[in-house]
Amino acid sequence: MSAATEAVRPAYRPARPGPVKTIRQTIADVVSRRRLILYLVRADLKKHGADTVLGNVWWVLDPLLTMLVYVVLVAVILRSTREAYPLFIFCAILPWKWFSSAVGAATICVVSRERIIKQVAFPKIVLPLSACVGGIVSFIFGLIPLFAMLVLLFPNHLTPWVLLIPVVAAVQFLLTLGIGILLSGLTVFYRDVGLLMTHALRLWFYVSPALYGTDQIQSLTTKNPELGRLFNLNPFTGLFESYRNLIYYGQAPTWDLLGVVVVESLVILVVGVLVFRRIEPAFAKVL
Amino acid sequence: MTAAIDVRSLGIRYNLRLTRKNTVRETFKNLARRRNGPAHFWALRDVSFRIDHGESLAVIGPNGAGKSTLLQVLAGILEPTEGQIEVIGRISSLLTLGAGFDPDLSGRDNIRLAGAFMGMEHADMLRRLPGIIDFADIGQFIDAPIKTYSTGMNARLGFSIATAVEPDVLLLDEVLGTGDATFRSKSQQRVEELMRSARAIVLVTHDMTWPVEFCNRAILLEKGQIVAAGNPAEVVRVHEDRSGQRRAGQQPDPLPPLYDAGLPAISSRIPGAVRLR
Repeated sequence: MSAATEAVRPAYRPARPGPVKTIRQTIADVVSRRRLILYLVRADLKKHGADTVLGNVWWVLDPLLTMLVYVVLVAVILRSTREAYPLFIFCAILPWKWFSSAVGAATICVVSRERIIKQVAFPKIVLPLSACVGGIVSFIFGLIPLFAMLVLLFPNHLTPWVLLIPVVAAVQFLLTLGIGILLSGLTVFYRDVGLLMTHALRLWFYVSPALYGTDQIQSLTTKNPELGRLFNLNPFTGLFESYRNLIYYGQAPTWDLLGVVVVESLVILVVGVLVFRRIEPAFAKVL
Repeated sequence: MTAAIDVRSLGIRYNLRLTRKNTVRETFKNLARRRNGPAHFWALRDVSFRIDHGESLAVIGPNGAGKSTLLQVLAGILEPTEGQIEVIGRISSLLTLGAGFDPDLSGRDNIRLAGAFMGMEHADMLRRLPGIIDFADIGQFIDAPIKTYSTGMNARLGFSIATAVEPDVLLLDEVLGTGDATFRSKSQQRVEELMRSARAIVLVTHDMTWPVEFCNRAILLEKGQIVAAGNPAEVVRVHEDRSGQRRAGQQPDPLPPLYDAGLPAISSRIPGAVRLR
């Protein structure tokens, strides 16, 4: 009998909750499993520093070295004339490091927990979530060299506006979370996602105003307003500009662009959660 | 009596084209030869049974019959493709001992992590922590990373964690032969204790003495379907007859699947579309 019918018989098909209920359930799951998220984050951090000689010092050193590479490239070889260039690019490198490493960790988090997924039932969404939360710690450590630089080398750039950094960081977290959740689920089915992502991230970094300012591409965008609009739709335009306003220029963040980022992030997050929850039941079968 | 486990018309379907090995390229290849061969495999189909509190069910059958899949569904790891399932109370599953450990973390950290994965309350876990460490009895190694453990130590810790919770529903999958002789007798004792205190047990085993000794019900699974159900001694006899025929190189007659496995209350309910949990 069953050999004849490969398809699911409609009368026996289990009901699936709608989108609103799914979101509500997900939030309840996350709240009830906050202890698990804490442990996962802590486990990640413990492992992070354990295998290297310098351990957690790398959190401070890593963004500094990246900055040094770009300073050599842009300020020395390409001879940029921008004042306080190291600070200028550090405003972008620090949040980007956070974003790219969190997305990278989130991408593999479900796949690398394969065995526990097949053994215990738990809401899988805690995995990408804790991968994204773990990134916050390295971002906070990265703020140490940032403030050291501000105080010691460029004290004229230090303004009370830096106190708003957490607001911009919160917006960035929303974006990271949505993308991380989406990618972590898709990687289960396609290993290509991880490989593609490395290149996509690199491209994304260069089309965002990280190493250059929006003023430098003004001629390009005024000639081609379509391109300018597209440029402003890139969430990292708003994020980098806002960080830079707070840290480098000492002025208010670009609220309008930041608002766009919030809307985009929320859309990605909702889509990400819905997709993740839809494919979650298949994880234990496919992994 | 309320049911502890109520399974109605359960079906689990695997998609044979969808595996982790897939890359985008392979997906296109699969789409191209869609017509060749079956796309799906029913690991379980039309499985219905009910266990009341205080009962214990043995699940027996040849390899690949769907026994472990059934436990995975009961544990909530797999969701039914068809039918519905209801499990009431806290579940503890001893599916694969210590398989989910994080090799870079210490034994102690892994205990906490495992507890959190199982959804135990933090205070509850802290209270049980000394007992778990004590039972595993691996000495100094408890603070060393799991990757330095031997296979036996790994299994001991896994067993110790999985049996530390006091479950309402206990799912056991061939866990009775771990470690050296001392630990084996210790763990056997522990399992017997749990079986006495648990309110419902599902035991998957190839050791035919266990169903008769500990269970008051048994089902025989073959090719994802229940083909015999009822008194453990009888079901074991049917299974052993058929295994004997297989060993002799014969193909035993296919038994008709039991839709309503002779257990009460299954046929009385409409096979529902709602998953109650």
